[in-house]
Amino acid sequence: MTDAPDLELIGVTKRFGTFTAVREVSLVVERGQFLCLLGPSGCGKTTTLRMIAGLETADAGEIRIAGVRVNETPPWQRDIAMMFQDFALFPHMTIARQVGFGLEMLRRPADDIRRRVADALVAFEITALADRKPDTLSGGQKQRAALARALIVEPRVLLLDEPIGSLDYNLREAVMLELRDVQRRLGISFIWVTHDQNEAFSLGDRVVVMNHASIEQVGAPEDIAERPRTRFVAAFVQGTNVFDGIVAGVEGDHVRVRTPTGDFLVSAAHVGPPAARAPVSFSVRAALLSAQPGREHVNQVAAVCRAVEYLGAIRRYDFRLGDGHSLKLEEFTGRGRRLAEGEAVTLGWRIEDGVLHAPGEAPA
Amino acid sequence: MSTLRERSPAGYALAAPAGLWMLGALVVPTIFIAWVSLWAARGFTLASPLTLANYAKFFTRPAYVRVLGDTVQQALVMMLITGVIGYSIAYFLVVHVRHPGLQLAVFLLLVVPFWTSALIRTIGWIPFLGVNGVINQVLLLTGIVDRPVEAFLFSRTGITLSQVSFYTLLATGPVVYTLRNIPPSLPEAAQCLRATPLRVFWRIVFPLTLPGVMIGQILVFLNVMADFATAQAIGGHKHAFLGNLVILLYESGQLAFAAVVAVLLMIAMLLGVAVLLKVVDIRRLGES
Repeated sequence: MTDAPDLELIGVTKRFGTFTAVREVSLVVERGQFLCLLGPSGCGKTTTLRMIAGLETADAGEIRIAGVRVNETPPWQRDIAMMFQDFALFPHMTIARQVGFGLEMLRRPADDIRRRVADALVAFEITALADRKPDTLSGGQKQRAALARALIVEPRVLLLDEPIGSLDYNLREAVMLELRDVQRRLGISFIWVTHDQNEAFSLGDRVVVMNHASIEQVGAPEDIAERPRTRFVAAFVQGTNVFDGIVAGVEGDHVRVRTPTGDFLVSAAHVGPPAARAPVSFSVRAALLSAQPGREHVNQVAAVCRAVEYLGAIRRYDFRLGDGHSLKLEEFTGRGRRLAEGEAVTLGWRIEDGVLHAPGEAPA
Repeated sequence: MSTLRERSPAGYALAAPAGLWMLGALVVPTIFIAWVSLWAARGFTLASPLTLANYAKFFTRPAYVRVLGDTVQQALVMMLITGVIGYSIAYFLVVHVRHPGLQLAVFLLLVVPFWTSALIRTIGWIPFLGVNGVINQVLLLTGIVDRPVEAFLFSRTGITLSQVSFYTLLATGPVVYTLRNIPPSLPEAAQCLRATPLRVFWRIVFPLTLPGVMIGQILVFLNVMADFATAQAIGGHKHAFLGNLVILLYESGQLAFAAVVAVLLMIAMLLGVAVLLKVVDIRRLGES
């Protein structure tokens, strides 16, 4: 094996007629990385995955697997495997037969196939299902069979299209951990497409947020959640408050942003000072807001408590500002008293708690 | 899938009109034909003594046995030809004509001929196949032959040609249905598991469409077995299948013997369907 990254996309574009499904997407997946493609439906994440698999051809750009351009390589010659959302188990084959399907297609000797299928069935604890047809399996069993079938060809990259989306909710957590374990043990790359940020954040070494055919941000889960680069990412991530306004002035490293509910100071250290009067947006995480602001909380705003959710470890408040804008605040329980619904308070946050977004998309 | 409900008196009452109709129009006549086939008398008499001699007579005359053989052979040939052509059309329609409007248009092109009566369609083949017919004109013009080919009309080739045009659709429709029911992710998953397109077809697509293929085969088999009009119009009087034999015997007043051929035709058809159903479980049709 070479030291080349498992996967590279360079300016990859896909159009369906006049609709651009994927626009100039570039990213690198290092050896053995767990990458999550996160975004709302229709953002181009599944099309990107299908181009990596070879099920769609890229109209522009280059796709490299293990350093080799594969744009012209058909799916059956690419060093990948794929897990489909509906698992795509072959209804006419027993589980043992379809787990061995990939090896059969590679024309491995029958003895070899039998032995490796038996090993795979043991590894994924589905030996008892060997002679059953898929339609008699539960969701979790299907998922294991599909995984065993995909991994038996020992791909360099495993592509997973919403692989737990069709499982029962209470099964997902366990399956996520199991898949994560498998990925760590085999040391191959996983590219996991999902619209669920909890999946992306808890699994991914890196998360790629996509919207409208383009990449909005690439980074560790912490980067995405705590330092959203664009307004879209901030709005997409749960537990983040987004403010829209215009630049009212630049004061050193800080930008004064004028919003309908007042002026706020935001650090601009990582994006550089924007032009005066330019429309901007910034975000503040719900966990960083304080309902008992002190002197360090330079930004303050009057709000009325509208709803309280008790979530065990944390309380989540929904506040209403003077202009009808809603603000979320999360605080640990057991500290301070619970605010009553309808109670008027002052909310505050520090300058460095605000994250100024890169210019671009207008507020929705 | 098989949700058998408890039988209630109302159910019987609801089924009664159709049941009585089937009884009067199908069951009783069938039994009657079977009974007539055992008549020893030549003409129509309800008091005839019963005998198996009619059947013995059929199987001891080589000419009759050959008609039975020809009929079964014709059905088998037709199943093979319409099976291949019908599958190809269905595959083309579902896999290559992706646009739904275009799909409908092509399918209508196939169906429209079926809106005309069988007689017109059959007769329509005569100016096409004849010695001065369209095929011969084209062959002469292009210089492929220098004398008109007489083998088209009044021949098995002609009968087969026109039957293929009538019955291919029967072999196409059910395959279109089963092909459409295959989730696209199945062939895609096979491709990602190193299967080339040809192997995807033979290992995934074709096995999943087998129920549709079998239904088409049954429809073609039954129709060809029962077809006498094509043989009569295209084959002239040189070629006869069991259906033609029934008419011939009936017209010459040999009622009992006509009934024998009819019964044998029915038995052959039932046997054929039983064999085909043994091959593939068509109840799995529509399961994905």
